[in-house]
Amino acid sequence: MAARTIRTVCPRNCYCTCGMLVTVDEGRIVRIEGDPKNPATSGHLCLKGLAYARRATSEDRILTPLVRRRKGGPLEPTSWKNALADIAERLDRIRRQSGPDAVLFYEGSGSHGALGQLAFAFWHQFGGCTLPFGDLCWPAGLEATRLTYGANLHNHPRLTRHSRFVILWGHNPAETNVHQMRLLLEARERGATLALIDPRETDTSDLVDVHLKPKPGTDAALALGIGAVIVEEGLHDRAFLEAHAAGVDEYLRRIEEYPLQRVEQVTGVPGESIRALARAYGGTRPALLIAGFGLQRHRHAGQTVRAVALLPALTGNVGTPGGGWQYANLASHCLQPVPLPARPTAVRERFAVARLGDALASLAQPPLRAAWIEKANPASQNPNTAAVRDGLSRLDLVVVVEQFQTDTTQAADYVLPAKNLFEQEDLVTAYWHPYLQRRAKVFEPPGQVKPESEIWRLLCERFGFDASWFPTDTQPLLRGLLPPGAGDAFDRLAEEPLDLSNTGDVAFARYRFPTPSGKVEFASDEAARLWRVDRVPDYAGVDGSEADARRFPLRLLSCKTRDRIHSQFGNLDWIRDVERPHRLEMHPDDALARGLADGQHVIAWNERGGIAVALRVSHGLRPGVVHLLEGRSREEDPQVNLLTGEGVTDMGHGATFYECAVEVRGA
Amino acid sequence: MTRKAGFVLDLGRCVGCAACVLACRLEHGWPGSAPFRRVLPLNEVRHPAGPTYFLSLACHHCERPACAAACPTGAYERRADGIVRHREDLCVGCRYCEMACPFGAPRFDGARGVVAKCDFCEARFERGDVPACVAACPTEALRVAPDSGSAAEAIPGFRDAAGCRPSIRFTLPGGIRGARLTGLLRQMAERR
Repeated sequence: MAARTIRTVCPRNCYCTCGMLVTVDEGRIVRIEGDPKNPATSGHLCLKGLAYARRATSEDRILTPLVRRRKGGPLEPTSWKNALADIAERLDRIRRQSGPDAVLFYEGSGSHGALGQLAFAFWHQFGGCTLPFGDLCWPAGLEATRLTYGANLHNHPRLTRHSRFVILWGHNPAETNVHQMRLLLEARERGATLALIDPRETDTSDLVDVHLKPKPGTDAALALGIGAVIVEEGLHDRAFLEAHAAGVDEYLRRIEEYPLQRVEQVTGVPGESIRALARAYGGTRPALLIAGFGLQRHRHAGQTVRAVALLPALTGNVGTPGGGWQYANLASHCLQPVPLPARPTAVRERFAVARLGDALASLAQPPLRAAWIEKANPASQNPNTAAVRDGLSRLDLVVVVEQFQTDTTQAADYVLPAKNLFEQEDLVTAYWHPYLQRRAKVFEPPGQVKPESEIWRLLCERFGFDASWFPTDTQPLLRGLLPPGAGDAFDRLAEEPLDLSNTGDVAFARYRFPTPSGKVEFASDEAARLWRVDRVPDYAGVDGSEADARRFPLRLLSCKTRDRIHSQFGNLDWIRDVERPHRLEMHPDDALARGLADGQHVIAWNERGGIAVALRVSHGLRPGVVHLLEGRSREEDPQVNLLTGEGVTDMGHGATFYECAVEVRGA
Repeated sequence: MTRKAGFVLDLGRCVGCAACVLACRLEHGWPGSAPFRRVLPLNEVRHPAGPTYFLSLACHHCERPACAAACPTGAYERRADGIVRHREDLCVGCRYCEMACPFGAPRFDGARGVVAKCDFCEARFERGDVPACVAACPTEALRVAPDSGSAAEAIPGFRDAAGCRPSIRFTLPGGIRGARLTGLLRQMAERR
């Protein structure tokens, strides 16, 4: 058979959401390339996208259902028939004894696609379930942006090349959004200045012109201080503010509380550096401000992002090519919901996902008795994972749908083999570029692997539920999800990614902001009403007592790497061969103060526990800050989330991974 | 005129993402084989005294290849287009080339008992394509253009001590930073 090339898309939880061209010959991937028809990712992939060739044929792939017949025993192969019969019987028993909401349905971000929603065609017929609310990653920043601008939209990435000044705030595109890096470097070669705000040096910091390293969690103070300088120097855009902003007077009073001296003391950034950055940003047009997710992995995340998000509006850098505020672009999120049976009343949403460990232990009426886990690895990726593992181990039934063994499958009574991105057609949205893309079916699932929608259909049949919600041909269903008036877009998606948003390349080009006031909201009644925060963003200090700060004086960050998406990809030899070692990075001053040397084995610990890890002494960190990458599994990597806590952000119900204080000693 | 083979690495664009390494792996038969390309992070501990950058390196297709000089069976040839080619059918696996090459380009493949190295994606080159690593580079830092960039000797961390005259060229970050940056902004770059 001749080689054929198929257009598809990477469905990982990643800014880029690259279009991909996969060439298959004799049932094997012989080439993977970027799709040049995606204007944002323009014909390139990252190492993870290229590693799909290896991932698809990995010897580690789970190819049959697995059962653990007794707690603590091994996982053994079983048949779909036996697995689903036993799972159905046990779920039904729990439902009859304790109610449907004694079962937790837990989904992560492991694989994006519209068909994932079909799980609810089962749960709604089951009579309900328990669901977490919020999100582990980005919700505080999304809500902050929505409160400020009314919508999470930003300029098309290709307009970055028009920027004359760019601030990257808590963002590391060289590792986590590499196609953005190409556009930034192009802007720089055309004369733009790049500035970075990050407590540590990264692959991105090597290529910027200016780098400020604030203390983690003080970004709100820095943003308000920058705002104060901009106003003091008269660099704010009075005409824009007059016409398109609300609550400016209150903001102007707020920034008076942030003189440079105070901001320097709070953030640890020299006042003159702050002044220079504020002058350069305020005095250059167009200027772009791009925020990552890192600055909102803190308790006061929403107020922080609001404070930062106001700077583009203060300087009138809104609705203009090369300018703007970039956090997340949800322009492609224009699909209709998948048709589902009516939602029953017994769907219980009573805990923020960051508090999963606590919920497993303490939810009552009914307590949780079973969990179904899909596209997720909570026993490694959620904060306070020791509590998550304990909680899972106490349940009567844990079902995990997975491609590979993880810490979560270690807690499973059943592991059901999951499809990979090449084994089911789907529609995939993005959060950086505006393109909707069609994920193609390239291969039949290997072994006994079944797509999740097929698993749900079979389970519905077991229960005698209506299985017609799961069409055997999913194309008509997917076609029906496109927005009204999309015409033949579904067929065109086979040829190219499509922007169906009708928002244009420049976000807010007509200065229409879907906020209550119709303007950019410097003061927000909605924020005060929904989240009980100050109407005007403020810096709220760093949480924790002084005694705690003396006991655990180091801030542990666990930033994202180029090599993995959370715990994905870390099992592949192609990735292991090139990836960064998982070491605790520490500034030489902090190492010296503790008598620690590079390469030494150390224990990082706090009130939640301790982890053993090798030390890397690096000048790239701000003193007082230590860094460790997320681990894949407790056997393979140090597990940072044994130390992170179950805090919840001030808005959006996010997690506070970077609100993590530790001390480090020799092992 | 024949096209000339040779890599250019723009140090102001390479972010060390390793896509080139995986593209090499994909191109040259897998999963058994090791990649011919690697990425070396320089100054990984980010000492303020030195610059921090990445070197993405494979075979440099030298003008005076040490591998060829050391090979007792004549398994290496330097083509008119500059590609230094290793002929597996003539290789006896003695590994002298591995010892002679100062850049670590030839690698012994124990499973097959022969040496293998970057061939500038000869098949692609002959049909007019760039090597797989170049095609895959997301920041377009790795390019094919033999006559631009600084001489190899000018790069800290990369020296041609053995006089091989490697064909690789580098574009220095300084070259693009230029005088445009004001002294003030430079001072702001906190190096603490």
